[in-house]
Amino acid sequence: MLANLKRALDGVRICDFSWVGAGPIATNVLGQCGADVIKIESVKRPDILRKGGPFKDGIGEGMERSGYFANRNPNKKCISLNMSHPKARDVAIRLIEKSDIIINNFRVGQMEKWNLGWEDVRHINPRIIYVTMSLQGTSGPHKSYMGFGVNLNALCGLTEQSGFPGSRPFGTGTNYTDHVMVPTHTLFGIMAALLQREKTGQGQTVSISQLESAICMKPTDVIAYSANQEVLPPLGYSDPDAAPHGVFTTLGYRKWIAIAVFTETEWQRLKQVMGSPSWADDEKFSTLTGRKQHEEELNAGIEAWTKTRYADLLMKEMLNQGIMAGEVNDARAAIDDEHLRARGFWSYLDHPVVGSTLYNRAPIRFSKTPIEMVSAAPLLGQHTTEVLTGLLGYSEDEVKQLSAEDVLT
Amino acid sequence: MGIDGNEHSLSDIRVLDFTGELGPYTGKMYVGLGADVIHLEPVAGDPLRCRGPFYKGIPDQNGSLQFLYYNGGKRGMALDLKSEKGRDIFLELCKTTDLLLESFAPGYLDQLDLSYNRLSAVNPGLVQTSITPFGNFGPYQNYPGCDFTTSALGGFLFLAGVENEKPVRACDNQAYRMAESYAAVGSSIALLFAKRTGIGQFVDVCCMEAVGMALENAAQYWDLEGKNRRGRGTEAGSATVHPCKNGYFAIVAIMGKNKIMWDPFVQWMKEEGVEDWEVFQDERWIEPDYRRSKTGYETFCTVLERFTMKHDKLTLYEKAQAHRVALTPVSNGKDLLENPQLNFRQFWQTIKHDYLNADITFPGAPYEFGNLKWRFGQPAPTLGQHTAEILKSLGYDEGQIHALAKEGIVYVG
Repeated sequence: MLANLKRALDGVRICDFSWVGAGPIATNVLGQCGADVIKIESVKRPDILRKGGPFKDGIGEGMERSGYFANRNPNKKCISLNMSHPKARDVAIRLIEKSDIIINNFRVGQMEKWNLGWEDVRHINPRIIYVTMSLQGTSGPHKSYMGFGVNLNALCGLTEQSGFPGSRPFGTGTNYTDHVMVPTHTLFGIMAALLQREKTGQGQTVSISQLESAICMKPTDVIAYSANQEVLPPLGYSDPDAAPHGVFTTLGYRKWIAIAVFTETEWQRLKQVMGSPSWADDEKFSTLTGRKQHEEELNAGIEAWTKTRYADLLMKEMLNQGIMAGEVNDARAAIDDEHLRARGFWSYLDHPVVGSTLYNRAPIRFSKTPIEMVSAAPLLGQHTTEVLTGLLGYSEDEVKQLSAEDVLT
Repeated sequence: MGIDGNEHSLSDIRVLDFTGELGPYTGKMYVGLGADVIHLEPVAGDPLRCRGPFYKGIPDQNGSLQFLYYNGGKRGMALDLKSEKGRDIFLELCKTTDLLLESFAPGYLDQLDLSYNRLSAVNPGLVQTSITPFGNFGPYQNYPGCDFTTSALGGFLFLAGVENEKPVRACDNQAYRMAESYAAVGSSIALLFAKRTGIGQFVDVCCMEAVGMALENAAQYWDLEGKNRRGRGTEAGSATVHPCKNGYFAIVAIMGKNKIMWDPFVQWMKEEGVEDWEVFQDERWIEPDYRRSKTGYETFCTVLERFTMKHDKLTLYEKAQAHRVALTPVSNGKDLLENPQLNFRQFWQTIKHDYLNADITFPGAPYEFGNLKWRFGQPAPTLGQHTAEILKSLGYDEGQIHALAKEGIVYVG
């Protein structure tokens, strides 16, 4: 299948100052496609996700047991560089000279403090793509406001509709914006700049506003208000264009099945699969409009049927009849899922401290260039000597000297 | 066909976008940076045209607000791929295309003799990106799927709830959006490779895998600790949502045992003279176990909400942030349009739509570049708006175009 084993981004190097969520997820994807990602940390300033759970066997000691950190950082090299030391900048400069991309998600001004702002870096390497990620842009009255993923979910409008009518909004239960909305826009911005560099030979800045990129992926509330002065209601688990469309209890602990019926044909098939119960033939359920009007009663009828059945068997039965259905998988079930396993979505990588542990690849399969999961997340500073003596051209004595001076901690 | 010259856009990239409800945001990302994107749709119209909300609530194939957003800046052509002549036109278009985006069921194009191999034979540099619920291989590949069921199967939906509660879904079909944004990324990686080597390829992106990117740390919780976590939302002050005078807000006043985060919150409560603010001085709030307890959560809600119910969300947002407390409004569409930051940054794009005789406001640029200029582009095409223009560029004359339209092979708008 892979006629050409060259990876798509072989030869692309990333000087990666990013940490925590969205930045490392973006560089992770590039690394899987062949880019050489060199992550810069310091014992004095580690990626704080190293202290975020889960931890192997629940033991949160040290810097190397976090699965949260690990899954964002496979295939990367990590050098330990104490940027508060004046000599660290020279190491950074050597790396910048050999990089195509430099990325950070620090607060605005941090890179400038190290004299590594765009104006400095462009003179070091005019071909470099300089990526910054701010919460709400670098101008405006709220530019210095703070927030975590959950805050951004709320602010961007994602949370408002994610709740049951009459209850407080819930959202996705995660820092959703950090995981997809922000990294994918960052990645696309980087790739656009690389594509343009093919023509111009020049690097440029790419600035992501986390808020603005998130809003672009959930536009309807704003457009509806602009066009119709309409505030969209909470969705629960419903859909304006489908009924039934819901989560139904099945046998087992926290086991549900999601069913979505958009068309008349699908509704007729569902009735058949349910064994054509008489309640379902009631006139009031005969059209989508009617089913939406009596949705609660409709859902109760379906749940009476699902709750004595197994979700997996029901799902297969419905899918084979052309009805859209899916088990509401918890993480364990998603890891065990036959489709995701058959597609090689999960992989287990060996890590020197925690052993064989679970990762997922990016959701992209190329027919000719492999996407590869090669090595587990790096230990803090694991590749310092290798990178300095290899790529950056320091002698072993120089590295020893820099270590002794506390530059490489 | 670039809008503003070669220097500041990706105008030399040509995209054919034959997607419907699933897929259109991918092409929109290319539009934003100046690529020439042609949106192809069946003669009967893209199914997304039938999805609400509609302008003024009136169903109209040119009035779907989602269609107007996702297909803004694209040229539009309506084409029947099931006819031989329609396929000839499609193949002609593929010759000069860099990227084909499509969301047909796996195997559909093969049945029409338009497999990647065939397309690649007319254009070896072509990148074809398929965006589907389950992808082009694997045991579920031929199953029907949608946003909701792929969110469920991939483990994403489960997280949106606590304990034994049923989960809620996110707005705007996020499983579709995730697949689309990753499809844009995958396509751009394949395009760079094609520019450098002349070798195009087939890119397979599916919703069920894309939602797997949004599991946060849930898969690792199972793998490392044997726990199946659900959503956060009932640990007092650590990612909780609370009511105020005109809606809700979200607050992260503490994470883990980080007292440094908690202190500014207590200080804020004190300065506001919140009744019983002193309870927040207690050291037990630093303990996650206490915050997760019923007493902890309920005490937090009672004391905080007595205060917040007197204020609107924007006031609370600005007051809290002035105290370095991570509080944000739960915005609705109106709040977003009135948001001072977004207005200062001139984020919103108001586009005149002649067909509807209306100005409609949309989200604007997700990023800023040194040398690339983002744009919304022209209003989304009405059905078949650019069919004639595009056919002419392929060398068809007026008479031929008229005949094709009469045969139902194209729709000329």
